[in-house]
Amino acid sequence: MTAVDARATTPAEPAPAHKQGRDFGPIRWLPRILVLAVVAYIFLWRIPQDEGGAAAIAADACIYAIVGISLNILIGHTGQLSLGHNGFFGIGAFAAAYSLTVREVPFALTFVIAGVVGALFALVMGLVALRITGLYLALITLVFALTLEESLFEVEWLTNAGAGQPADRPEWLIADSNFFYFCLAFLVVAVYIDYRLLKTKTGRALLALKENERVAEAFGINVTAFKLIAFVISGTLAGVAGALLAYRIGLVTASGLGFNLALTFVLMTVVGGLGSRIGVILGASLFASLSFILEETWMHEVQQFLVGLLSFGSTSAEANLTQYAVGFLGALGLLLTIVQFPGGLGQQLRAFFDWTWGKPFDVHALLHPQDDGPGAVEGSSVRA
Amino acid sequence: MDPMALEVVVPVVSGLIQGSVYGLLGLGLVLLYKSGKIFNFSQAEIGTFSAMTAAFADQGVGPFPDLPVPLALLVGLLTGLGLGLLIERVVVRPLFSAAKVTVVVATAGVLLLLVALGGFLSGPEPRSAVRILEGDFLTTSSLRVTDTGALVVVVLAVLAVASALFFSRTRTGTAIIAVSQEPTATRLVGISVERTSALTWGIAGLLGAIAGILLSGTVGVVFPGSLTFIALVPAFTAAVLGGVTALPGAFVGGVVVGMIESFAQTNIPKDVLPGSGKVVLFVALLVVLLVRPAGLLGKET
Amino acid sequence: MSVLEVSDLSIRFGGLQALQDVNLEVNEYEIVGLIGPNGAGKTTAFNCITGFYQPNTGSVRYRGQDVTKAPPHVKAAMGFGRTFQNVGMVKSATAIENLKTAQHAKAGYDVLSGLVGTSLTSKRERELTAKADAILDLLGLQSIRDKKVGGQSYGTLKLLELGCALATDPDILLLDEPTSGMGPEESDELGDRLLTLRKEFALTMLVIEHHVPLVLRVCDHVYVLNFGRLLAEGKPSVIQTHPEVVAAYLGGEAPEALEATTETAEDAELDALTEQAARHHDDPDAPAPEVDHEPAPPTRRRRTAAARAATDEGEAERLRPKKRATSTRKKAAAPETTEGDDQ
Repeated sequence: MTAVDARATTPAEPAPAHKQGRDFGPIRWLPRILVLAVVAYIFLWRIPQDEGGAAAIAADACIYAIVGISLNILIGHTGQLSLGHNGFFGIGAFAAAYSLTVREVPFALTFVIAGVVGALFALVMGLVALRITGLYLALITLVFALTLEESLFEVEWLTNAGAGQPADRPEWLIADSNFFYFCLAFLVVAVYIDYRLLKTKTGRALLALKENERVAEAFGINVTAFKLIAFVISGTLAGVAGALLAYRIGLVTASGLGFNLALTFVLMTVVGGLGSRIGVILGASLFASLSFILEETWMHEVQQFLVGLLSFGSTSAEANLTQYAVGFLGALGLLLTIVQFPGGLGQQLRAFFDWTWGKPFDVHALLHPQDDGPGAVEGSSVRA
Repeated sequence: MDPMALEVVVPVVSGLIQGSVYGLLGLGLVLLYKSGKIFNFSQAEIGTFSAMTAAFADQGVGPFPDLPVPLALLVGLLTGLGLGLLIERVVVRPLFSAAKVTVVVATAGVLLLLVALGGFLSGPEPRSAVRILEGDFLTTSSLRVTDTGALVVVVLAVLAVASALFFSRTRTGTAIIAVSQEPTATRLVGISVERTSALTWGIAGLLGAIAGILLSGTVGVVFPGSLTFIALVPAFTAAVLGGVTALPGAFVGGVVVGMIESFAQTNIPKDVLPGSGKVVLFVALLVVLLVRPAGLLGKET
Repeated sequence: MSVLEVSDLSIRFGGLQALQDVNLEVNEYEIVGLIGPNGAGKTTAFNCITGFYQPNTGSVRYRGQDVTKAPPHVKAAMGFGRTFQNVGMVKSATAIENLKTAQHAKAGYDVLSGLVGTSLTSKRERELTAKADAILDLLGLQSIRDKKVGGQSYGTLKLLELGCALATDPDILLLDEPTSGMGPEESDELGDRLLTLRKEFALTMLVIEHHVPLVLRVCDHVYVLNFGRLLAEGKPSVIQTHPEVVAAYLGGEAPEALEATTETAEDAELDALTEQAARHHDDPDAPAPEVDHEPAPPTRRRRTAAARAATDEGEAERLRPKKRATSTRKKAAAPETTEGDDQ
C-alpha cells in the first residue's frame, strides 16, 4: 500500500463531488451523518461510560492505535520493517514511570521525556537500518526486541529492582473515562501528524525512497536524512504511546513489554492494512480489545463451547484457551491477511470508508477489494 | 584439574553442548535461507511443538496411548515433518511471488500460531520433556555432562556433515540449490519448483523437531514458546555468524555462539548487566552484519 | 565560464576500466550530445557527474566549483536535473505526485513546519501543485495527471520523466536516452521540445542519445565515447563523417555508411531496448520495454557476470547485427568495458 492510497481512504482528500456523478444534495449526506453519529455515540459516549470495564480497554485501543500509526510510518510509508517496536514503546513507558516516580518530574514533562527517549532509540535503530536492510533488518530488529526484554527491562534502577516502576495518574485522570479521552487526544494528534506527513514533502520523500533510493536522490531527496527522520518520528510516537501505557497500567514491568508485544504490533498493523490510516487504527483497536471481547461478550459462550472440543491434557483447559485465544486469532488474522487479503482491513472495508467520506457506495470495491491492492508488506526494501 | 583450567573448561564444554543445539536449529534456518532466501522465524517453535507432542505420546496425554520412548520420539519427528510440509503448502507456496519480507512476517505469524496451539493443548506450565538417555556421560567435581548433552554434539556433527554432502553430492540437493538460484531455468529443465520447496520445508521441519526434542531433553521441560525464547536468537546468530549460505557454518557458528554466551553469563554478573548472554549475542550479530555480512564461512553473493 | 567541466575522469569496477581520462565541457545554453556504442561508459559518465558513483580520479566542476564529491541529492538541489535510462520515477504514485516529489529540494518549507501545518506550508504546497500542473500542460500530459505512473506506456513515461527532471528546477539537464521507447515521429517531436525547453527555461543540456537524426538536429557539440575513452569530439556534422566514429559505431569502413541514418537509428534503438530488457531481467522494478519482438540478451560483455553470461554472450553474438559483430572482433584487443549497474 502506498502513501497515495492511504490518502484516498482517509478524510485527507474527500473526492470532489462534481467528479462523482450526480449530486443529491443534503439527502446524499443524511445516511452518512447518521452512521457517523452512531459510531461517535458508541465510541465517544457509550463505551467510556463503562468505568473500569470498556473505558480502560478503549484507552488501550487508543494507545495501540498510536503505535500502529507509528509503525505504519516505518513499514507502510518508508518500507523499513521493524519487528522491535516494543523497544521504543517499552523504553517510553519506563522513561515516563522512572522520571515521574524516581526523579519527580512534572506529569506533562514525562511525555516529552518518553518521546525523546523513544526517538533516540529509534534513531540508533535507524542508523543500523542505513547499513542493514531487508531480511537482515527484520532479523536484527527482532533480536533487538528479544534482547531488550531480557536486559534493559530488567535493569535494577529502572525497574525498581524488578518489582516494577509505579506510574500514578494525577487526580483528574484517575477515572478511566477521563483517561480514555486523554489518550484519544493523543491519538488525534498522532493522526494529524501522520496526515500532515503524507500531505507534505516528507511523505512524498519517504514514498520515493521506499520505492527507489536512486530516483529519490535524483529528485534531490537526502535519503539518509529522511530515513532517519522516519525512524525519529516513529520512535517519538511509540515512546509517547509507551508513556500513556505506563499511566494506563500504573506499574511498568518487563512482562508484557517483550517480544510478544513486538509481534502483536506488527500483526495489528499488517492486519489493519499497511498504508491505510483508518485500517491501522481499526486493526490496533481490535487487537487491544480482543481479550476483552472474548471474555466479556457473547464470544465467551463460543469459547466455552470450544473448550470441550479442543483442550486435552490440561486441568485448566478453559484458562489455557482464554490465555492463548488472542494470540491464536491474531496469528490467524495475520496469515489470512498476508496470504488472502493483502490490503488488510483497510482495503476490505474501503468501500464503506469511502462512502462515509462522501463517495458513492462502490459495490465493485466491496466485492473485489483487491483489484488495485498491492501486497501487504510489499515494497519493504529488500534490495540485495 | 586446577581452578584456572576449570574456569575455561566449564564454559567451553557447556558452550559446546548448548551451541550444538543452536547449531541444529541454525541448520534448518540455513537450509531454508539457502533454498529460498527466507528467514523462518517459526523454526524454533516447530521444535517446541514437536517436543511437546513427543512428550504427550511419552506420557499418554490426550488421544495418545502411553508409548515407549522410541515411538514417542517418532511421533515428535513426524510432527516436525508434518508441520514443515503444512507450512510450506498453506503459507509459503501461496507467497511464492511475494516479497521475501512478506514471507518472513508470515513465518512470524506461524510462530505465534504455534505458540497459541501449544498453549491450547498443553497450557502455559512447563511439561517434563521426553528423557532420551538417562545416564551421565562424564562427571567430575565441577563438571557434569549428561548423555543427552553428548548426544546433541554428535547428532549435530553428523547432520552438518550429512547435509553438506546432501547439497554437494546428491541430485536432490543440487536441485534445491538450482531452484533457489534460477527458478525459471530450473523449471525449464524439468525440476518441479513446488516439489523441491515442499521437500526443503519437510527436511527443515524434521531438523527443527530433532533440535526441539534434543534441546528440551537437555533442559528437561518444554512449554509453549520455550525454544523460541531460549534458542531462536542464538540460532539465528549462529546461522548468520557461520554464513547463512554455508551448512557447516551453522555448526561452527552454533558452537561459537554457545561459547560466547556461556562466557558472558559466567563472567558478567547479573546486577551489572541482566541478560548479558543475549546482549553479547545481539552485539555479535550486529557486528557481523555490519562488518562481514557473508559470515565466517559464507561467500559474498 | 563553462557550466560543466569534467576533467580526466576515470573509474574502475574491479578489473574493468569503465572510464579512462574522460574530459568534457558543456557551456552555457549548449546542448551537448554524448554518444557511443553500448557499453562505452556513457551512463557511467552520467553517474559520476551526478554523484551516484565516485570517480577514482578526475574532477567534476560546476560553474567553476569543484563538486566531484557532492552526493546526488546535493547536486540535484544545485541544479543537476537527470533522467534515467530505464525511467526513474515513483511508480506507485500519480503523475502529479511525481512532479511534486521532484520539487522536493525547492519545496520552501522544512519538515517540522510541514508536520505542524503552517500557513506557509499550505501556500507553498499550492504553488508546487501549480508548477506541476504547468509542467503537465507544457508536455501535454494533463490526461494522466491523477493516474498512477506504473501503468503508463514507455514513451509517456520517458516524457513524464523529462517533466520530473524539469520540476527539480534544473540549471543543467542530463538526459539518458530520452527517445528510447519512442517512434521516429515522437523522437522528432522530442527534438523540437528540447529546443523549446532550452529557450524557455534557459537550460543547458547533456544528452546521451542513439537516435542520430536527433543528435544532428539539436546538438551543438558531440562527444563520442568508446570503451571508456573519448574517441572524438566536435560539431555533429564533423562527427558524422569522422572515420573512427564510423568504424566504432558501424564497423563499416566508408564514411558514406553514415548516410544510411534511418537504418542506424533503428539499429541503435533496438540496442537500447535490448539493453533495457537486460536490465529488466536484473531489476524486476524496471519497466518492461515496449517491444513486440523477443528481447534479446544484453549486447555488452561482462567478464564478472555469473556463469550464465557465457551462454548469453554466445547468444548475443548470434543475435547481433552483423556489422556490430565485426566491430567487436576488431576491437577485441582493447580492454573490455561495462556500464556498471545503471539503476
